[in-house]
Amino acid sequence: MNADCEAVRQAAMEEIDALEDLRALEESRVRFLGRKGRIAALMRLLGETSPEDRPALGKAINEVKEALTSALEARKQELEARDLAARAAAEAVDLSLPGRRPRQGHMHVINQVIDDIVGIFVELGFQVAAGPDVETEYYNFDSLNTPSDHPARDSHDTFFVKPGVVLRTHTSPVQMRVMERTQPPVAIVVPGRTYRVDNDASHSPMFYQIEGLLVDHGVTFADLKGTLALFVRRFFGPDTKARFRPHFFPFTEPSAEMDISCSVCRGAGCRVCKHSGWLEILGCGMVHPNVFGYAGYDYETYTGYAFGMGVDRIAMLRHAISSISFLYENDVRFLEQF
Amino acid sequence: MRISLNWLKDYVDIDVDADQLAEDMTMLGLEIEAVEQLGADITNVFVGRILSIEPHPDADNLVVCKTDVGHGEPLQIICGAKNMKVGDKVPTAVVGAKLAGGFEITKRKMRGVDSYGMMCAADELGLGEDHSGLIIMDPATPVGRDAKPYLGLDDVVFEIEVLPNRGDWASMIGVARELAARYGRPLHVPAIKLQEMATPASQFSSVTNEAPVLCPRYIGRVLNGVKVGPSPDWMCKRLLAAGQRPINNVVDVTNYVLLETGHPLHAFDYSLLAEHRVIVRRAKPGETMRTLDGEARTLTDQMLVIADAERPQAVAGIMGGEHSEVGEGTTTVFLESAYFDPVSIRRTSRALGLMTESSQRFQRGADPEMAEYAINRAAALMQELASAEVAQGLLDAYPEPVPRREVTLRYDRNNALLGAHVPPDNQRKYLTDLGFEVVNESPDTCTVRVPTWRHDVAEEADLIEEIARFHGYEHIPVTVPSVRPIEVRFAPEHDALAALRRLLVGYGLTEVCNWTFSSDDAVRNCGLEDAYLDMVRLENPLSERQAAMRSSLAPGILNNVAFNIRHGSNDLALFEIGPVYRPRADRELPDETPGLAIALSGAAEDRYWSRAPRAVDFHDLKGLAERVIEHFGAGFEFTVSESALFQAGQGANIAADGEVIGRCGRIHPHVLRSLDIPQDVYLLELNLDPLLRLPQRYSQFQSIPAFPPSLRDMAVVVDAEVPAGAICEAARRAGGKLLQRVEIFDIYEGKQVPAGKKSVALGFVFQSPDRTLIDADTEKACDKILRALKHAYQAELR
Repeated sequence: MNADCEAVRQAAMEEIDALEDLRALEESRVRFLGRKGRIAALMRLLGETSPEDRPALGKAINEVKEALTSALEARKQELEARDLAARAAAEAVDLSLPGRRPRQGHMHVINQVIDDIVGIFVELGFQVAAGPDVETEYYNFDSLNTPSDHPARDSHDTFFVKPGVVLRTHTSPVQMRVMERTQPPVAIVVPGRTYRVDNDASHSPMFYQIEGLLVDHGVTFADLKGTLALFVRRFFGPDTKARFRPHFFPFTEPSAEMDISCSVCRGAGCRVCKHSGWLEILGCGMVHPNVFGYAGYDYETYTGYAFGMGVDRIAMLRHAISSISFLYENDVRFLEQF
Repeated sequence: MRISLNWLKDYVDIDVDADQLAEDMTMLGLEIEAVEQLGADITNVFVGRILSIEPHPDADNLVVCKTDVGHGEPLQIICGAKNMKVGDKVPTAVVGAKLAGGFEITKRKMRGVDSYGMMCAADELGLGEDHSGLIIMDPATPVGRDAKPYLGLDDVVFEIEVLPNRGDWASMIGVARELAARYGRPLHVPAIKLQEMATPASQFSSVTNEAPVLCPRYIGRVLNGVKVGPSPDWMCKRLLAAGQRPINNVVDVTNYVLLETGHPLHAFDYSLLAEHRVIVRRAKPGETMRTLDGEARTLTDQMLVIADAERPQAVAGIMGGEHSEVGEGTTTVFLESAYFDPVSIRRTSRALGLMTESSQRFQRGADPEMAEYAINRAAALMQELASAEVAQGLLDAYPEPVPRREVTLRYDRNNALLGAHVPPDNQRKYLTDLGFEVVNESPDTCTVRVPTWRHDVAEEADLIEEIARFHGYEHIPVTVPSVRPIEVRFAPEHDALAALRRLLVGYGLTEVCNWTFSSDDAVRNCGLEDAYLDMVRLENPLSERQAAMRSSLAPGILNNVAFNIRHGSNDLALFEIGPVYRPRADRELPDETPGLAIALSGAAEDRYWSRAPRAVDFHDLKGLAERVIEHFGAGFEFTVSESALFQAGQGANIAADGEVIGRCGRIHPHVLRSLDIPQDVYLLELNLDPLLRLPQRYSQFQSIPAFPPSLRDMAVVVDAEVPAGAICEAARRAGGKLLQRVEIFDIYEGKQVPAGKKSVALGFVFQSPDRTLIDADTEKACDKILRALKHAYQAELR
C-alpha cells in the first residue's frame, strides 16, 4: 500500500516539475487533489484496509497529499512570478521620455510681485484699498498739498483728460479717498496702475505702484522705519538692510527715500547700484499736516505715515529683468519664465 | 548741480575724504548722482601755445596749427575748433596721451595732412559736456607744464540732484552752508572788496518798479569802462569743474556768481537802453520782443518784463532780449539782480514754453537778501577782472521787505512724531546752526525766524524734518507698530480678482498685462462696433496709438496674439484682467469696469510624443467661460451673437444669471487679416462687474445618495440643425424626478445616418434617494424621454 502512495507521489512530483503554465497546473491539481483525483482514490482504498494498517496508511496518504499541495503551491508561485516578470518586461516604459505635464499657466510677474508685497502688509494688519486710474486733479494733486503752481507738478509729467481730470500720476490719491470715507485708524495698502508722460529704456507711460498709509494715535517715524525695514527683510531676504535718506514729497513731512542694500553685489558696489551699494526703492514720510487738513483729520490727535513704491522696479530687481519694456510687451517667452 | 570739492573748501573747512563727504551729503538729503575724480584717467596733456593757424589745404572746416608744448619742435595739429587765435594757450594732448573715456591720441592723417596731437575741449578732459570750443587758458600759464593742475583736474566733483523744495542747494554757498552746520564749522562767505566811484548810480540810471507784487525786489548797478578779456586761471578751473566753459570775464563773472550764490544776474548793454533807465512792469497785451535765443515772443499782461523807456528788454527772470545783449563793443553794463515771484515766473515760463537756468531758479524761490550780496560780489569781481568802474550805490527798488516767517517748535511734539528722544538743546541747536534765529522760547518750545533762503519751511513739521535730518535718520529708532483692525472693506474686488487670476492660471492660461491705452484705429481694426469709439481721450497722448483709454480689452489681447505669432509662439492661451474705461456724460470721472479677456489660438495642448495635439475650438473657450461664471456662483446661457467680430455661426453672447455680460467666439477672418494674424483665434470678453457684485454664496452640502445610480444610454437621430442643447433640455424635462443628469457623449454625422441628419448619443443618470432603482423604473423614464424627443424633434432611436 505504501508503494501505491509512493507511486502517486513520484508521478505527481515529476508532473509538477514539468508544469509550464498556470492552466496546466490547475489541471494537475484536479488530477491529483480533486474529488476524483488520485489522492481521493487512495483514500477510498483506506476503507478496504485492515484496521491495524489503517493509521499507518492514512498517515502516508496525508503526507503525500501535503507534499503535493505544497509542491503545487510552490510551483504556482514560481509560475506567477514568471508571468508577472514577463508582463512587466513587456510593459516597461521608457523612463527617459518626458512626463506628460498639465499645461502650466503663468500669472504676470507684476501681479506676482504685487501679491507678495500686499501679502506682507496684509499680514501686518493693513487692508487693500483701490481708486480710479482716471482721477481728478483734486485727489491727485491739490488735496495732497500740491497746488497747481507747485513746482513738484512739473516733475510728474501728467497725462490730461480734460480740465481738472488726469490719469493719476501715483497711487497716493487713494489716501485721500479712503480718509474721506472713514475716521482713523486707517491702515491701507493700495496696488494700482499709474501714468506719466514718459517712455524710454527705464520708463513706461503706464506702470504700477503700491501705496501704504497708516494713521492712528501716536504713529511715529520710528514706526515707519520699522515697518518698512521688516517689509524689505521679508521681501528681499533676511540680510537686506534698509537705509532712510531725507527727501522731498509735498504730501509728507518729514520725508524720506528708502534704499536697500544692493541685492546684486550685497553692498560691495556694482553696475546695478551704480557702485553705491544701495538701491533706491521707495519714497515715504510722515503725512503732511495739510493733507490731514484736507481729510478733516486733527493733526494734533492723529499722526500717520505713508509710503509708495514702484512695482516695476522691484520686479525688475528681484527677477533681474534688464528692460522695463519686457513687462508690457507680453511676449510669452518672457511671461512663461515666471 | 556739479559741486567741486576744491571750490567748496573756499567756504567751509572739510577734513573728511571724498567718500565720507559723499556719504554725509547723501544722509542730509543731497542726493549724489555721481562722484568724479577729475583727471584720473588723463595723461600727457600739456599747456600748449598756438604759434600759427593756417587753413587746411583740403578742408574748409579744419585748420592746421603749430603749437608749442615746451619740449621738442612745435607740433603740427589739425583742429576743427573756431574759438582760438594765435598766442592762445590751450591744453594740448600729445601722441600717446590718454583723454577722458580712455580715448588715446595717436599720429593721424586728416584729409592728407599729418596731425601730431590734439588741442582739447572741456568734454575731452572729462569736464562736463561742453564741446563748443577749445579751453582757452589763462595767458599767464607756463607753456610745457602738465595742464591738469591748471585746469582743476586734481579735483573731485560731486554731481548732486537738488530737491525741488531746496533751490538754495543749487549753489556752492547753499551746499557749504549745509555742510558747515553738519560739521559744526563756520561758513566763510567771501567778503566784498569794492571801490565804488564817487558818482552815484542814480546819475547814470534809475529803476522804476511798477509791479512790486510780481517783483518784490529789483536791484541795479552801473559798471563803466568794462574791458572784455579772458578770465584768470582760478576762475576758469571752477567754471570748468562746474561744467561751464569759460567765455570772457564779463560772462564768466555772472556765471561764477550764479554758481556761487545761486542767484541769477542779468547784464544789459547800458548804452542800448532807451533813456538808460529800467522799468519793471507787466507787458502790454500783445507786446512783442525778440529774446536772446532769436525767437520773437508775444507777451500778455500776465507776464512781467524789464523794460527801458520804450520797450521790453527782458522777460523778467527768464531770458534777456536780443536788443540790449552785452557784446564785443559793450563798455557800460547795467547789471540786474532781482527777486521775482516764483508763481509768476512759473506761469510765464510755461506760457512761453521757455525754461531757462534762471527761470528754474526763480520758480523754486530765490533769496531776496542774496540778491544784494550777489550783485555786489559780481561788481567787485568785474572790477577786479574787467577793470570795471562801479558807480556808487545800489539802485534798489525794495518797497516792502519780503516778510520773514516765524514758526514755533514744540520739543515734545518733535519727539512724539519722530519716535525719538532728541534733547531740547540739540533740537534748538540744529536749527540755529542752519541759520534759524530764535526769537522766543519757553522750556517746552522755541519760536524761530526762518532764513530768507528757506522757502520750504512754513510750519512745525518742516522744523521737525530739519531736526530729523541733523539728528540723523539713521539714529531714529526702529519700531513696528501694532495695527488696529477696522471692519469696513475698501476693495473687496481685489481678492476676488486675485482668486480669478489663480483659477485661470490653474487652467493653464498665461496672464498678459497691457498698457490701458487705445485708439480709434485699434477699435476699428478689431471689428468692434462704433459704440467702442466712445472713449476717454487724452489731451496730451504720447502718440496717436495711445490717444485714448481702452474701451475694450479685445484690441490689446489680439495685439498680443499677433505679436507672439510673429515671434514664433503659435500656441497661445492668454488672459487679461483689467479695467475698461467709458466716459460718463453725467459725471466728471468715467466708468472703470473690471473686465476679463481670454484669447486662444493654435494647439489646445502641448505637443507630446504619445499623441497629436488637438487644435483649440469654440468649445475650449466656452468651457472656460462656463468655469469662470460658475466660479462666481452664477448660472450661464449662451445665445447666438451677430457681432462682426466673429465668424458667422461661431459667436455667442454670454449671459450670467440672465444678464448679458460678454461674448465669445471665433474671430472673423476679416479681422484676422486686418491684424495680420495667420491662424484662427478664439476670443472671450466679459464684464466682471456683475459677477463681482453677486453676494458671496457658499456651497450647501447635499447628502451623499445612499442608493446606487442607474445608468442608461440612448442615441437618437435628428435633423442636423437641431441644437444638441435643445435635445438635452427636452430629455431633462421629460425624464422625471429620478433623472439626475443628462450628458452628451457623442455627436455623429456621416455614412451611418441619413444625409442631413445627425446622431446624438445621450447618457442618463437615474437615482433615487430612498431605494435602489429597478429596470422598470429606468425603462419607463427612457420611454417617456424618447416619446418627448420624437414629438418635439422627430427623433428616431438609432
